[in-house]
Amino acid sequence: MAEKPDLIVLGRHRDLDGRTKEAWVRRALLLAIGAFVFAGLLNVFGQRATSSRAATSDASLEVRAPSNLRGGLLFQVRFTIQAHRELENATLVLGRGWLEGMQLNTMEPAPIGEASRNGELALELGHVPMGQKHVLYLQFQVEPTDVGRRTQTVVLEDDGRQLLSLSRSLNVFP
Amino acid sequence: MDIVIRAAVLFLFVLLVTRIVGRRELSSMEPFDLILLVVLGDLIQQGVTQDDYSMTGAMLAVGTFGLLAVGISFLSFRVRRARPVLEGEPIVLVQDGSPIEANLHRERFTLEELAAEARQQQIASLEDVRWAILETNGSISFIPK
Repeated sequence: MAEKPDLIVLGRHRDLDGRTKEAWVRRALLLAIGAFVFAGLLNVFGQRATSSRAATSDASLEVRAPSNLRGGLLFQVRFTIQAHRELENATLVLGRGWLEGMQLNTMEPAPIGEASRNGELALELGHVPMGQKHVLYLQFQVEPTDVGRRTQTVVLEDDGRQLLSLSRSLNVFP
Repeated sequence: MDIVIRAAVLFLFVLLVTRIVGRRELSSMEPFDLILLVVLGDLIQQGVTQDDYSMTGAMLAVGTFGLLAVGISFLSFRVRRARPVLEGEPIVLVQDGSPIEANLHRERFTLEELAAEARQQQIASLEDVRWAILETNGSISFIPK
């Protein structure tokens, strides 16, 4: 038999004694990375939008927005208000979860008025005739350093009277 | 603070990935591998610095990478038991002109690829090889008879 090179241990480096588990550890880690990538395909880390709805006899509200995001992503939120009766002065009140750690790039159509209401953002949308829709688009960007889970609440009011409310949760991954 | 944490996490993730993809993939540097390397660097940079274009941010990230690289190297040097985990171990592929099939299979090496590697070392036949050893850096050492 050929003389072995220095520091080569035949049992370990040729016959792989005690190294069989290495291959399994490597496979397991590869599988974990594969699972991570597959979870990404399944929208676990964002940013596909999902819809939430709430309705009363006065109006219905649909919110379409991503529920999972990552730092730095641009995304859109769409509020669709359907008036089941005449809404004299529809107002959306967005909880702090919508704006904390987010850059609000634009809102279309621009609300008639904006105000802070006990720390929340009140957007005055104005008159919505019975049977008609009011669609409000908000364009956001997640601040790159923003990470965590928060609750996003939205309340629809008419002339100061609450018609309905809706709550969603948002996860921001690093 | 965030940039240091992001740099550390990505450093460790890249270390993990390079350890588990196997040495064969790392040792070759075909045009595709070269492109992959550049793209990988770009992807890592975006994850680490994100929208931070500052010199301080870049210095923090580079400093973190540098410190961790030295730390890993020091750990590997001082702690014998950590060495196989951090760097891997050599594997004998050929002994006395006979390829060791199980080891080739484990490293996803074909005989043709091994013969090609031998030719690059001016060895015409594997029968002329006393030892062929896949080193921890992905290169193959051929010791002729």
